[in-house]
Amino acid sequence: MQKKKICMVGDFSVGKTSLTQKFVNNVFSDKYLTTIGVKIDTAIVNDTKLIVWDVAGRDSLSPINASYLVGASGVVLVADGTRASTVSGLVDIWQTVEKRIGIVPVVVAMNKADLEDWHIDDESRAFFEKQAWDIFPTSAKVGDNVEKVFKKLVERIQSQDN
Amino acid sequence: MVEANLQQQINAQLFEKLGLAYFCVDLSMTIIDVSDNVTNYGYHDIVIGAVVDDCVDFMLGLDAKTELDLPMVESPSGIPVSVSLIPSDACLTVLIVNASVQAAQRQLLQQKANENELLVEQQEKLLYQLEQASQQLERKNYQLEEASRLQTSFLSGVSHEFRTPLTSIIGYTSLVEQSLGEQAHQGDGSLIAQEANNKAGHLRAVQRSSKHLLSLVENLLDHGKLDSNEIVLRPKATDLVELFEDVELLLRPLSDTKNINFISKLQLGESATVVIDDSRLRQCLINLVGNAIKFTDHGSVSLAAELRDDFLFVVIDDTGAGISPEDLKKIRLPFWQAADTGKVGTGLGLTITERIIELTGGDLEISSVLGKSTQVTFQIPAPILTDQVSPEISSSALIEVEMSVLLVEDDHDISGLMLMLLGERGIKVTHVDNGALALVALRSSTFDLVLMDIHMPVMTGYEALAALQKTNNSTPVVIMSASAVETDRIKAESLGCYDYLVKPVDIDDVIAMIGHVANGVQDELN
Repeated sequence: MQKKKICMVGDFSVGKTSLTQKFVNNVFSDKYLTTIGVKIDTAIVNDTKLIVWDVAGRDSLSPINASYLVGASGVVLVADGTRASTVSGLVDIWQTVEKRIGIVPVVVAMNKADLEDWHIDDESRAFFEKQAWDIFPTSAKVGDNVEKVFKKLVERIQSQDN
Repeated sequence: MVEANLQQQINAQLFEKLGLAYFCVDLSMTIIDVSDNVTNYGYHDIVIGAVVDDCVDFMLGLDAKTELDLPMVESPSGIPVSVSLIPSDACLTVLIVNASVQAAQRQLLQQKANENELLVEQQEKLLYQLEQASQQLERKNYQLEEASRLQTSFLSGVSHEFRTPLTSIIGYTSLVEQSLGEQAHQGDGSLIAQEANNKAGHLRAVQRSSKHLLSLVENLLDHGKLDSNEIVLRPKATDLVELFEDVELLLRPLSDTKNINFISKLQLGESATVVIDDSRLRQCLINLVGNAIKFTDHGSVSLAAELRDDFLFVVIDDTGAGISPEDLKKIRLPFWQAADTGKVGTGLGLTITERIIELTGGDLEISSVLGKSTQVTFQIPAPILTDQVSPEISSSALIEVEMSVLLVEDDHDISGLMLMLLGERGIKVTHVDNGALALVALRSSTFDLVLMDIHMPVMTGYEALAALQKTNNSTPVVIMSASAVETDRIKAESLGCYDYLVKPVDIDDVIAMIGHVANGVQDELN
């Protein structure tokens, strides 16, 4: 079985760990616990063993540690649809990724879609569409689209390999 | 060379106390060396000869040539470790160090920092929402104010349009009725006298209807003005006894028509001159006593008033239909009218009365027993005038000097009426029908007083007042306008008008006004 490393990246408190845990262990916790460094989990999708790197989120003081990205075959860009700055911030985060590991398959998880004020601004949407990325409104809480995000990324990685 | 003993101590320090572990891979990424303690971190599958990708997840995708630091990686045992990849010509050494202390410290700080930042973001978001809501509220408020302004403007326009013809109707019917009355009196029983009497009765019906129509218009206008806080009280020295007697004289015919007793109990003292807005008090009394008479078919209506401690206390009792407790809750709402009473009205009288009383700083209470009686009480501040000023000149004041008045009025029905009424009292009246002609007349002749309308073609009353201000002509100008809007009165006053009368004007008020000026003229002659 082939193995692929993918990274979950985005600003702090957007739900990267929650999405990973929902996907890998089907659990969700409302309590916010910030990730320090990186947590590594595994899951199998379409005969591929995924090594999921849940990378500590970017905050105002510390950028994403790009060393964690080395060797990744694809990334899940995660934003919180109720915090506009985390959506527009994906543009910068993508630049960090691209600079370190080049262009890799990407899917965008616009998380917390179960909340009322979830929204994607037009400018960010236009940027994502220009990159031809798949955008998923996800909810780690209720599980909406969580599996689809990982499956789509694996599909993209596989089609690129082929 | 480090001594073997020392090397052992260093190793003990590194491997046991700092938790240093390691493994090495060759260029084909096969394990070629490994420390025993890697198992402390849960890396049980790292054995010599194994391919590194198969036994260490964090090595997937890495190569033997790249130097890399991976701080605080969660190991399979759950212990955070810091990983360093150190390439050399023949192999790659991977050092693993326990980072649990740094990770715990970082966790504590980062958690707090992130939570604080989230709070700040949340606060900013709420402030933004608050600002948006506030802006929306401001917009709504502006729209409401605009709607209210338009409503007032509309009502003012309607009021103006109604007042002008009503002035003519009431004035001319009064003249004809007076003339018919004289005919009836002189004819004494003849057929002509009877006919004149009948016609006078018909005219009185026209007058009643006209006055009712006027009161409806005034109620609507007052309601609009109260809504937009445009009503301003104009307190002045007022003889309360005279005012209450006036109200009684006005309303007693209504109670007489319905065969109910009108009882008046006044305890106002001898010198009941107080500072009060007399026209508004009159309006309140007429509304409340008028209502009591309207809803009473048998028994009596009583009006009691007492002046005490600079307050006027008024009680109106009736033995009428009464009001149910449910209706009492709604009775103060604008436009509300009791169902099935068969009584006509706008449903605004009580609302307006209550608002006016509130405006004076007083309050109004209503109690009632359905089918038996109703009591309305109110009290308003009425400071007794201590420095007695000379009472206003009444309509009966004699005008002993020959007065010359310039009448500026574009409505020929009204000007005709005024010419007739003033002429009857020996006042010389010159008539022009716009402001420009008035200025010409004032330049060429001398007048004791100008009676001027506001809304006129060619030049309005405002424009004429403004033009007069620029000259040294000091002839007093009294405005007679169909507009009862406060802003119009303020504008006219700011342009120097002597007084402002609202149409339909009472001829007695006009005569009283001329009397004021005549007195001034008399004083000058003396």
